[in-house]
Amino acid sequence: MSRPPVGTLIGLPVAAVTLALPAVLDDSALAVYILLGLAAMVTVGVSLLMGYAGQVSLGQGAFYAIGAYTAALLSLGGVPPPVGLVAAPVVAAVFAVVIGTPLLRLRGHHLAFATLAMQLILLSLAGQLDFTGGDIGLQAIPQFGVGSFEMGGAAAYAYLTWGGLALVMLVTHNVITSRPGRALRALATSETAAASSGIPVGRYKLTVFALSAAFAGLAGGIYCFYTGYVAPGSFPVLISIQYIVMAVVGGLGTIWGAVVGATAITLLLQGLNTLATVPGMPTYAPSVLSYAVYALVLIVVVLFLPQGLLPAVTGRLAARRDRTRQPLTEERDGSAAESR
Amino acid sequence: MIDVTGLVVSYGSATALDHVTLSIRPGEMVALLGPNGAGKSTLANTLAGLLTPASGTVTVHGRLALIPEGRQLFPDLSVADNLALGGWRSGQRDPAPVYTLLPRLAELAPRRAGVLSGGEQQMVAFGRALMSHPDVLVVDELSLGLAPNVTSGLARHLVELNRERGLTVLLIEQNARLAFELCERAYVLESGRLVAEGDCADLAGDPRVAGAYLGGAIT
Amino acid sequence: MSAFLGYLLNGLAVGCAIALIASGLVAVHRVTGVVNFAQGTFAVVAGLCVSSLLGLGLPHGLSEVAAVLVAALAGLLTGLAAIGRPGTTPLSSLIVTLGVGVLAYAVEIVLWGDQPRSAPGLAGSVTVAGARIQTQHLLVIAVTAVTFVLLALFFGRTYLGKALTACASNPYAARVVGLDVRRLGLLAFALGGLLGGIAGVLVTPLRPISFDTDVTLIVNGFAAAVFGGLTRPVVALAGALLLGVAETMAAGYGYGAHQLEVALGLMLVVMIVRAGRRSTIHQEAV
Repeated sequence: MSRPPVGTLIGLPVAAVTLALPAVLDDSALAVYILLGLAAMVTVGVSLLMGYAGQVSLGQGAFYAIGAYTAALLSLGGVPPPVGLVAAPVVAAVFAVVIGTPLLRLRGHHLAFATLAMQLILLSLAGQLDFTGGDIGLQAIPQFGVGSFEMGGAAAYAYLTWGGLALVMLVTHNVITSRPGRALRALATSETAAASSGIPVGRYKLTVFALSAAFAGLAGGIYCFYTGYVAPGSFPVLISIQYIVMAVVGGLGTIWGAVVGATAITLLLQGLNTLATVPGMPTYAPSVLSYAVYALVLIVVVLFLPQGLLPAVTGRLAARRDRTRQPLTEERDGSAAESR
Repeated sequence: MIDVTGLVVSYGSATALDHVTLSIRPGEMVALLGPNGAGKSTLANTLAGLLTPASGTVTVHGRLALIPEGRQLFPDLSVADNLALGGWRSGQRDPAPVYTLLPRLAELAPRRAGVLSGGEQQMVAFGRALMSHPDVLVVDELSLGLAPNVTSGLARHLVELNRERGLTVLLIEQNARLAFELCERAYVLESGRLVAEGDCADLAGDPRVAGAYLGGAIT
Repeated sequence: MSAFLGYLLNGLAVGCAIALIASGLVAVHRVTGVVNFAQGTFAVVAGLCVSSLLGLGLPHGLSEVAAVLVAALAGLLTGLAAIGRPGTTPLSSLIVTLGVGVLAYAVEIVLWGDQPRSAPGLAGSVTVAGARIQTQHLLVIAVTAVTFVLLALFFGRTYLGKALTACASNPYAARVVGLDVRRLGLLAFALGGLLGGIAGVLVTPLRPISFDTDVTLIVNGFAAAVFGGLTRPVVALAGALLLGVAETMAAGYGYGAHQLEVALGLMLVVMIVRAGRRSTIHQEAV
């Protein structure tokens, strides 16, 4: 969000609606609302990582899972839920720093596959280890609460979720408007250029990676308290792809874009799900429709709206297009050169 | 043979060529001079159809072949394969005629292009361009990084092709001495614009050009 | 000892299938710079096709060839989506191929349902040095060997193959001599589909295949391809055989539960070690 006036103008009514919604929605609608908020939280991180560090993570679901398992294990062990919820993003971020130190030496498709591998390894381990409950996972996770107050209703979780999302957006806003944040912009375009102009590329990338992991971890923490159980099956590879779809749809590197993308995809899937469960539809209809939607949206947006939905709508194309179309002699790796 | 009118080429917001107009008649051998970054290679790539003009027109009568800056061979392929691929456009894959002209290439044929010396690579690039039976040859930095005796050997072949077979040549050079020696006419490009043109004899006498391109004794 | 030999040949057969996937990845990456995430999908498509065609009563041979051709067509279509549009960067193309893979899920479930399917292969087994080897395993090894020889001949001896190598070797120079890099890239995608299809047809009789088998296939194939830096098919072949044998041995000697972690961990180590050395290699290349 490099345009505070527009952000504020749209932001205030959006915030008002956001606050009012939990009071009027029923439980099943609240479930969608909460999952939407959680997805948006993760997507803000993915968008930051892709838009500002130019890195694709196919394993963001792993950090979501780490957050969920961390909070679940701690609170099952008798630790107060708030501590578990704080620990969730912290553990995810620490894990990201540890694993990111070697992984972030990889670029492009190497990093994409490495993060995918990370998620597959973690899921496989979680499915086999005793303390994570194997394939069955962890159940009977206590409700979230502070002291003697215990959160019961879904509306309370909705507030917790959207409060968390607001925090995530605020942190991201501060990061990208800071001086290092503006320098980060250069990273996504040309790492070599960024490095030669004295930007500590490695440290910045690691910071963004850890931050995106923390966001996913926080979302995972809230998720585990809300659902009351976690299992490896809750975090399939497809969930990581889903975050990429949402980030790409919204527009990479834009905070509101991530929220718009998450909202658009969640509502679209929800609508299709309603359609797919109409009597007479085949049993496989819901999964087929959701796969088809993810795929088509992803392909169409990447090819035809590479700057995403939100920037396309706000019409700030020119500058970005110049940035993404690069001259002939740029890096050998590219079909960018071949296509000219 | 080549007619360029009001040519503008840009990379994003940066303009590499700014309203360039030039014309080369059949059988001519013309030089294009200019410092690094003047837009010479951009012009070469545009003439070869590898870049799309933002505006202006480029007309090339007949087949044009480019010897790109830095030779740009296929390092993993043999010399023979490099030459054969040079015939992709003409459909002529047999390098025998090129071997007759440049017998050294026949000896190098089985070797990997990537391991050759700079002079040998330039000769392969030369041969590869001839494989397409061009009517116009654009040579981007013939002398760059080569010893003077190697350059003069290649230049001799170039002049021979120009005089005996009527090959039209555009010689893009930083080495103005060499260019003036080989060509009748020259254009001078600076920061994307043509700043001087005319007979080489006149240009060599022009104090501005002489100061910038001959004074400092570049080679 | 005979158990060891059995695991070894079994592992080589698994490795061969991985090698075919990996060689498809390498072929596409060399020519276009794109890592094709849908490479595993081609094997799934071919495997599901062959199970249907055989089920319809078509003879062996014809069914397999038809299934492989369908996979090649899928490869071509993937290529059209991934590199058909000018200005698509390799990373955008990767995301598009990811989308193609997910789209294939939808199509596959509609056509074949979401349950694993198998197909009859070569029945019976032979005894080699006291070890019983399924004939299908030997077929997999033989077909892979022939495929790799043909690939080597295609890239090394034919004009078209050399043109593809030229695109890989220097894309700019390829354009200078007039090669249509994009069209050759599409050819590489079709070739990738073909190779993936061969893998799928060979594997389906050994392990039932379902729409989401592609993740295992692509991850293993990528792991093998990464050994050769995604550019050297022979090193990828060696990597794939090593991977196949290691996984089969692990499973055979009772560590089956961890075979995925072994493969993925190996891939990560190889990538990170290579990344450390790449900076120097990169400078040489320039």
